[in-house]
Amino acid sequence: MHEAHQASVIFGLDPVWYAGVLFVLTYTLIVAERLNRAIVAVSAASLMVVGGVLTQEAAVQGIDFNTIGLLTGMMVIVGITRKSGVFQFVAIWSTKKVNAEPWGILVMLVLVTAVLSALLDNVTTVLLIAPVTLLITDELKVNAYPYLFAEIFASNIGGTATLIGDPPNIMIGSAVGLNFNDFILNLAPIAVVILLLFLVPLYFFWGRSLETSVERQQKVMNYREADAITDHRLLWQSLFVITIVIAGFIMSHTIGAEPATIALFGAALLLVLDNLPRNIDEQSENVHGSFCEVEWVTIFFFMGLFIVVYGVETVGILEMLAEHVINLTGGDRNVTAMTILWVSAVASAIVDNIPFVATMIPLIESMAADFGGAEQLMPLWWSLALGSCLGGNGSLIGASANLIVAGFAERSGQPIRFLPFMLMAFPLMLVSILISTVYIYWRYF
Amino acid sequence: MTATSIMDPNPTVVKPTDLIKTAIGYIMDNRYRNLPVVADDGTYLGSFGVSCLLKNVLPKAVLMKHGLTSVPFVQETLADLHNRLHELEHHTVDMCMNTEARTVSPDTPLVETLLILYNNRDSLPVVDPDSGKLVGVISYWDAGEKILSA
Repeated sequence: MHEAHQASVIFGLDPVWYAGVLFVLTYTLIVAERLNRAIVAVSAASLMVVGGVLTQEAAVQGIDFNTIGLLTGMMVIVGITRKSGVFQFVAIWSTKKVNAEPWGILVMLVLVTAVLSALLDNVTTVLLIAPVTLLITDELKVNAYPYLFAEIFASNIGGTATLIGDPPNIMIGSAVGLNFNDFILNLAPIAVVILLLFLVPLYFFWGRSLETSVERQQKVMNYREADAITDHRLLWQSLFVITIVIAGFIMSHTIGAEPATIALFGAALLLVLDNLPRNIDEQSENVHGSFCEVEWVTIFFFMGLFIVVYGVETVGILEMLAEHVINLTGGDRNVTAMTILWVSAVASAIVDNIPFVATMIPLIESMAADFGGAEQLMPLWWSLALGSCLGGNGSLIGASANLIVAGFAERSGQPIRFLPFMLMAFPLMLVSILISTVYIYWRYF
Repeated sequence: MTATSIMDPNPTVVKPTDLIKTAIGYIMDNRYRNLPVVADDGTYLGSFGVSCLLKNVLPKAVLMKHGLTSVPFVQETLADLHNRLHELEHHTVDMCMNTEARTVSPDTPLVETLLILYNNRDSLPVVDPDSGKLVGVISYWDAGEKILSA
């Protein structure tokens, strides 16, 4: 819990009103998408400081640098690793494992997307998988829509399973002190169940009718996946570093290192390995390229958002909201958890889940006293994680990865339209939340 | 001296409604890199060339934004590529016309024209800025020929 800051807002305005209005405006502009969200977040953060709600020191304190460091470190690692061609290798290899049979390919790409999403961020995963998918579906002359639809779902479900799979999990883990193993033990099982169950409607909607000719299957079987690896040295270096990083996450409690430290250490190690053989001029260009792989827009969006939320938290708005929520749910922890699960899911289907989760974290933290301590909040945290991650499947705007895939679909001439997607995706998302409800009830109540 | 000094005033052109098969014939017979596309009244509309053919022979996934940047694992034969091109031949030229090709006007100074030709890496249509009509084309061969014979 952060200490209350005695704000002295400009023009003598009431800090609660100033921060509250600024907060609502920020959210509105982010949702409206008329202005880049990083600009909105950074501008609003600046206004929190300039307006007097926060001092600069307090604003910096409000930034969760563990989340920022983890995101940055993983972006550098993935940005370097992808140059080796390993992701294309995995996609082609898995396709050939099922003899390029259309339904088999769909299942394999769902599994590959889910696993990669669990270890990388969802946007990067679909940026890597969608083009290969389109190459294969183009070759087989099958409709790409089922594959792209399935990959959207797989990316969001896979991202739910681990600490590093989706930004909401990173934020929750960082705020609550949950580690990689906590997410594996609590969320991975249900994510796996939901993913496998998702294959059932996929089969009935599309899987039964996907077919192609033997000749076209042979064309895909002729792909030489080994040739997808364009830099073997980099491949082994990347796999080595990723292994160390994952091991670091698993043993973070033992070695006493936070996720950001582990990720940034991995990034630094890979940068060294990738650049040591190069001369200084090549290094300069190569390092510049590696750092360009970091989504700085996303990083600054996060930083601005953290400051804005810290501002409203400091003036007590979130504590007030928390009291309202507790009153609405009758002070019942289990009802509160279920409410958070369902509200998070629907909200995440409609708006960006990152600002939503950023706001919910201090709100839930405020409830600790009412529910008998921080340890009693665990079902609420898992509900928030499940709802905000799985809710992203509810509509095309539910997650950034969804829009990326939609962009690929558009460019390939097989567009994914908002309403048709939502008519199928939203009910499927609700089913996944229903399954999560049963899981939360069975596991934590 | 201007662009007109080195242009071919009677270039081979195609119409947007011509079949790609026809355009391919012109390109392969004369080793053109691209052909200007003009309307019935001579208005310049765009450019159609070998890059369009190559683009349509390649898989879509490599050409789109954020697409695959290399495909060393794809093992297609010339017959496969021929079939892909064959599917294209009965479409019309406007399907694959580059409407943003660089052009010059007839009174663009000579050296400026050569610089644009160098940077463009492709033949340059010469278009009248007032009427929008094609008045000629400048290729590397045209420029070289005129310079060498001066």
